Amino acid sequence: MADAPCPFSEVDGPPLHAQCRLRVGFGDGTVGFLERARAGDLSAYEGLVAEHRDAVYGLALRFTRSEADAAEVTQEVFLRAWRALAELPTEERFGAWVRRVAANQSLSRLRHRKVASQVEVPPQGPEFTERGTLIDEVPDGARDAEGLSLDAELGRAIELASDALPEAHRQVFLLKDVDGLSYEEISEITGESVPAIKSRLHRARLAMRAAIDRFYRDGDNI
Amino acid sequence: MPVDSCKDAIELLLGYLDGELGPDVVSKLEQHFGGCAPCEEFLKAYRATPQLCKKALAAKMPQAMADSLTGFLRGALKKS
Ligand SMILES: [Zn+2]
Repeated sequence: MADAPCPFSEVDGPPLHAQCRLRVGFGDGTVGFLERARAGDLSAYEGLVAEHRDAVYGLALRFTRSEADAAEVTQEVFLRAWRALAELPTEERFGAWVRRVAANQSLSRLRHRKVASQVEVPPQGPEFTERGTLIDEVPDGARDAEGLSLDAELGRAIELASDALPEAHRQVFLLKDVDGLSYEEISEITGESVPAIKSRLHRARLAMRAAIDRFYRDGDNI
Repeated sequence: MPVDSCKDAIELLLGYLDGELGPDVVSKLEQHFGGCAPCEEFLKAYRATPQLCKKALAAKMPQAMADSLTGFLRGALKKS
């Protein structure tokens, strides 16, 4: 069936090409939620929402720091996504789209919210000697350099450290490293240039790393 | 771009991991890593940071909220 017409077919239409089935997100031959939702199947759409709602809610919650706002953003995103399904032929595109809209909605809520301006501390990175040599204060073997394990206390330390980042750094770090958006998408959302975003991301990662290293060095008192 | 110190090397980590540095800078950088254990260790740690933070900051929508999301969508989409 390789050269037959497929481009993601229709429900009850000809079967999908194997490579297209993979792109749609299902390698096992079953007709996926996305395809059925695109054909108007509301219960399939609920399945699709269930697969993506934690990512959308999590993004909105981290951004707005409000469960109520995050719940509303999630509703709005999936309401709009239903109407945009025609333009979202793959689950990958769907996932990227809902994240992007969630970020835009969350940011606009933040901008409208009156927040007492906090004193922002510049992000702190690793320490160097006067000659620029790295001072490695974590005892050998104490650091789980590959970062494969995550316990509750380290998780808490990471939350506190990300909360302490200056807001613009925090947003870039969350969108890139936690939510997986591209530099270009982040640039569209925040209005910053890509080089500025990369610079903030680097500072934020250094600060996060420094906080994680402090955790390994000092135990849980960050 | 000179790589004379750890500070220089660490400044270039993002570009290095994104594959955006020229071959001459990459080779200077890798030479530094090869001869500097703290930087080599730092590189590993820096590279692992996003994944670790992603795990730590993941959130799950509470079940009650997920149920009301479903209810909301059913109401809104059946009307449309
Ligand atoms: Zn070094």
